[in-house]
Amino acid sequence: MNNKKSNNNQLLMTLLKGRTFIVLVLLVIFFTIVKGTTFLSASTLTMVAKHVALYGILALGMTFVIITGGIDLSVGSVVGLVGMLAGGMIQEGITLKFAGVTLYFSVPVIIITMLVVGCIIGAVNGLIVTKLGVAPFIATLGTMYICRGFANLRSNGATFSDIKGYDGLGNTGFKILGSNIAGIPTGVYIFAVLAIISVIILKKLPFGWYVLAVGGNEKSARLSGIKADKIKIIVYMISGFCAAWVGMINTAQLSAAHPASGDGWEMNAIAATVLGGTSMSGGSGTIIGTVVGAFVIGVINDGMTMCGVSEFWQKVIRGLVIILAVVIDQTQRNLQAKMALQARNENK
Amino acid sequence: MKARKAMALAMTAAMVGGLMTVPVMAEDNAELLPGGGSNIIYCITPSTSNPFFNTEQVIAKEKAEELGYEVKCASHDDDAATQLELFEAAINDGAAAIICDNAGADASIEAVQKAYDAGIPTFLIDREINQSGLAVAQIVADNAQGAAAIAEVWVEAMNYEGKYAELLGLESDTNCQVRSDNYHSVIDEYEDLEMVAQQSANWDQTEAYEKTEAILQSNPEITGIICGNDTMACGAVQACLDAGRNDIKIIGLDGSDEANAYIKSGDMVGTALQQIALITEMAVEQADAYLKGTAPEEEKQLVPCVAITADNTDCLNAFVYTEPEAK
Repeated sequence: MNNKKSNNNQLLMTLLKGRTFIVLVLLVIFFTIVKGTTFLSASTLTMVAKHVALYGILALGMTFVIITGGIDLSVGSVVGLVGMLAGGMIQEGITLKFAGVTLYFSVPVIIITMLVVGCIIGAVNGLIVTKLGVAPFIATLGTMYICRGFANLRSNGATFSDIKGYDGLGNTGFKILGSNIAGIPTGVYIFAVLAIISVIILKKLPFGWYVLAVGGNEKSARLSGIKADKIKIIVYMISGFCAAWVGMINTAQLSAAHPASGDGWEMNAIAATVLGGTSMSGGSGTIIGTVVGAFVIGVINDGMTMCGVSEFWQKVIRGLVIILAVVIDQTQRNLQAKMALQARNENK
Repeated sequence: MKARKAMALAMTAAMVGGLMTVPVMAEDNAELLPGGGSNIIYCITPSTSNPFFNTEQVIAKEKAEELGYEVKCASHDDDAATQLELFEAAINDGAAAIICDNAGADASIEAVQKAYDAGIPTFLIDREINQSGLAVAQIVADNAQGAAAIAEVWVEAMNYEGKYAELLGLESDTNCQVRSDNYHSVIDEYEDLEMVAQQSANWDQTEAYEKTEAILQSNPEITGIICGNDTMACGAVQACLDAGRNDIKIIGLDGSDEANAYIKSGDMVGTALQQIALITEMAVEQADAYLKGTAPEEEKQLVPCVAITADNTDCLNAFVYTEPEAK
């Protein structure tokens, strides 16, 4: 592979592989020129990271799902549903009609419950996809509607506002998920921790190899003894788990839970994942790529807002960036195939 | 068809004539729309995940049931195609009347026309359509007056000077323009008030929160934010609170309980209440009167908004305003 002839191609490959990161750097330079150094200030970068964390966390889960060749359209609705359930548990508690008591839970219990809820929804997605053989797009489209419906049903469409908990009941402190710890938003810490865990899972653990194998060629993965169904169910659970975090962080930031929260966020997550180089046909993708992809979208969003670009143009530009990224991705794949072929020919 | 058009013209003429405060009786003009035969009133609104539209359905149900009708509620989710399907369902169901908060001024004409052709009277609430003579009544809150009224309050709170930002709603929505224009009709009179940022947050809370944060980064000198609705105002308030900026004067428009809570706590200057509960009640009463033979005097009816500030925040609950004296 280290042949002289392919040196030029090698350089091009390196550039292409780092393309998302290069785009990110270019964007930051661009906005710094337009907006002045305010854009590079610590507080602006913190803010961008805070906004990125929301759909970045969704994109982490989405990356696992897309690598297996699936897709999870339900994450935006899970964000809304989890927000409503968490808000409801804090404001109203859970009333046990038969016992005539209302139970209030402490914040850690609520967080764990919500994460379990996210995993359960993910498991349902996975079971529908694997055991019932429904295409992932359809299965998660269904659960998307179901979760959004339940989010609305929880309060009959109303918003839980001013979510603080009650001192007397000892369930205060939920706001910590949406505020700062040592000057950095909690969501960013959660994003960082989840990203690191995801990298370890995908790169270092056998599970990560199984995920890639199932996405690459499911038949041969099955033949080599990988329990493909189990892997698929787990990736949807990871996605639900991530969505549950986002639901809680968003609710805590707003101090309010709105049943329409998270509407359309699955698209942001998919965009970040694709920008990061994960192939929609499965089999390849990296967590680092997804994180960088999420930042590209975040920098575009906040940068354009800070420059006063109209919402309509923001949409156009976001769309162009996504298409461009995929085009470059294709070029890279073609080049990679060509180089592999070249190398093989030269070895002969 | 010709006869229909003639009737429509006659009705329009009657409504113009109705300006003279004489109730237009059914017997005096071409016949009124008979209704579909059943005793059902349909109430079709945008998604009830917005408490504002939820109030429409709740009040319509209460009032119409009180008057002896059966009520069926549905949501079109701001999709004109869904709305048309719902209208067709109502027509097939033989609805007596349809009360509708429509899915777009132009896109909804077709649906109302269908009901009209089927002899079912439609009463539009909250939003108008760009054609008269099809709906029996179009009862809307006076957004222009409401926006101007709360802008007056805000200008005073700003002490007539300073820089500010504006969060617009969905820019393709007529209400978004009307509200913004009327905010500016008041604010632009004062030279020392300068708008330094204007962004759309699509009526959405999370989006308003994030955009406010971005605006505070690029324009930390602002001391005020005007918002196209209360949902966005609540997002802006939370972003300012999180940034430790409780000096920023924020207004919204709608009159939601969430905004009211922020006005009570002093984090928001005020909002303009669209008296949607009153509007819906009027629509149901007029539908009832119409089915019994009395058409409303005018098709287009404007219901004034009430400016809600720290002074009268106790009078507001679930979009119902109780006069201070009445309390």
